[in-house]
Amino acid sequence: MLGIWELVGNKLKFGLIAAAIGLIVSLTFIMASMSEGLVTGMTGAARALDADALVFQGDTFLALERSRLTADDIEAVSRTEGVASAYGVGHAFISIDAPDEAFNARAFGLGGRFDQLPIVEGVGTPGPGEAIVDVTAKENGVRLGDTLELTPIGEELVVVGFTEGRRYVMTPGVFVDLPTWERIFAATALGQMRERYTGEAPGADRVVQQIDGSVSVAAVDLEPGTTVEELAADLAPQYDVATPQAAAMASNGMTVMMLAVNGIQGVSLAISALVIGVFFFITTLNKTGQIAALKALGASNGFVYRQLLVQITLLVAVASAIGITITFAMGASMPPAMAFDPQPVRWAVALVSVFAMAYLGSLFSLRSILAIDPATALDRAEH
Amino acid sequence: MSLLEVTEVTKTYGAGRAQVTALDGVSFSLDRGRLLAVLGPSGSGKTTLLSIIAGLLEPSSGQIAIGGTPIHLRSAREAAEFRRTRVGLVFQEYHLIPYLSAIENLLVLCRFAGRVREDDRARAARLLAEFGLAERAGHRPSSLSGGERQRVAIARALMNDPEIMLVDEPTSHLDTDRGRQVIEMLHAHIRGRDMTCVMVTHDPRMAEEADEVIRLVDGRVVRPPQPSSRKPAAM
Repeated sequence: MLGIWELVGNKLKFGLIAAAIGLIVSLTFIMASMSEGLVTGMTGAARALDADALVFQGDTFLALERSRLTADDIEAVSRTEGVASAYGVGHAFISIDAPDEAFNARAFGLGGRFDQLPIVEGVGTPGPGEAIVDVTAKENGVRLGDTLELTPIGEELVVVGFTEGRRYVMTPGVFVDLPTWERIFAATALGQMRERYTGEAPGADRVVQQIDGSVSVAAVDLEPGTTVEELAADLAPQYDVATPQAAAMASNGMTVMMLAVNGIQGVSLAISALVIGVFFFITTLNKTGQIAALKALGASNGFVYRQLLVQITLLVAVASAIGITITFAMGASMPPAMAFDPQPVRWAVALVSVFAMAYLGSLFSLRSILAIDPATALDRAEH
Repeated sequence: MSLLEVTEVTKTYGAGRAQVTALDGVSFSLDRGRLLAVLGPSGSGKTTLLSIIAGLLEPSSGQIAIGGTPIHLRSAREAAEFRRTRVGLVFQEYHLIPYLSAIENLLVLCRFAGRVREDDRARAARLLAEFGLAERAGHRPSSLSGGERQRVAIARALMNDPEIMLVDEPTSHLDTDRGRQVIEMLHAHIRGRDMTCVMVTHDPRMAEEADEVIRLVDGRVVRPPQPSSRKPAAM
């Protein structure tokens, strides 16, 4: 193919073009990875919950922070038609006095199912007073075996394992068993009350009683063939139901954030397309005389355009390899807390988009190729 | 019957007061195996005439026939096919593809058709050898001299075994001796292959090598076709 010969014969020129497109591709991939990282950082712990559906307290607008279900609620959900099994998930705000720097975190109580956490270090099942912590907590000096002090409630947790991709609202997820979570949650609630009252807060016993056996949401496995919508219809109206993914994206301003993220990605893709298209357009313009001569010798427009498509395919493939390498290198140099989460699916979408945009941009060149008059290959300066 | 027949060909550009007549009722014919030199000053319409014969431009009026078949009024695709299979074009600026070796420049016409066969390679190598370029087959145009590039360009035009060669100012970048050598080679190949050649030149010394000469002035033939002073060359 003539297009390949041209690439081989102009290694420096096309190498530079490939490098430039590679940078653009890496920008696209980095944007995709950071977008995914942002989503993971904001919602990872919630959307990765091992369940077909999450059942929330009604009118809490799928907010994990606000929902509260009693033991009776969990029992009611478990008995609902189409529900195979249900387990409770508790959520609590916590602050941790870490060795390097104190930080806020989110405590998640899991009623079993600890095997859903991808363990990168340590053990996968915490006992009472033990925790599996998202690996980003290491940035604050947390190490395996550390005893973390939860402030200001004075509770302590021993780190027995690290997991990954389990942050929530950009803070590390701290996974404990339900009794431990209940203790933390009660201590947090009572601590707030103690700040307002001197001595024993009035009604503290009642608060502890109410917390006993309660969770934030129920994580539900559905019977085969049962849908989330059917579960929602079957449950009493005092509950709200959504998939973990939908619930995670519905709270903490994620809807608006995703609009912004997708907008940024869309704009970066559009700019990439324009730049890549312009690159090939300029190379086409630079060889107008050569294309005119080829057409004068008998090359069809289709033949010339096919050479361009071959070049685009090869260059964008090489550029993609360069872009992926740059992206991995950048990702490797980023701290774990940085919102960066390369996802094959998003990359595949970005890659397909880059190719699509390159081919779309090539239409500028096609227009130019069609417009090149083969007669200009002969000297027409005389008239 | 003549291979090339040009009948009352006129070409105008623009309209109204801005109209320019590049060719004005040009007529001539040319037999097989003959080399016609088209002489004329700059702006006389030589290149326009060549472009029309090549099917690169449509005449405003008149007819062009090669082997009795009218070549105008073709679609762009048909015109391209016509040039690829029946015409050998040699450009004043050579227009060799800079990233291809000499032999690959010859094979480019085969690539238009989709594939290069072994006998195509053999033919390209043979043509280069005939033009004294066997040793330069693997060289790119940038490492060839002006004369060598011109010979590669002529060899490329011969690659598809055309019925008619159209050559635009083949010696404009060469000194007289080298220019004469190139024309002699060209002439020998035309005779040897029984093809026809129209050569545009502004150099009367090169025209002396042709079998016939016409002179264009302001788009008109001011000197009808006539045998040149040159004797037919023996192959």
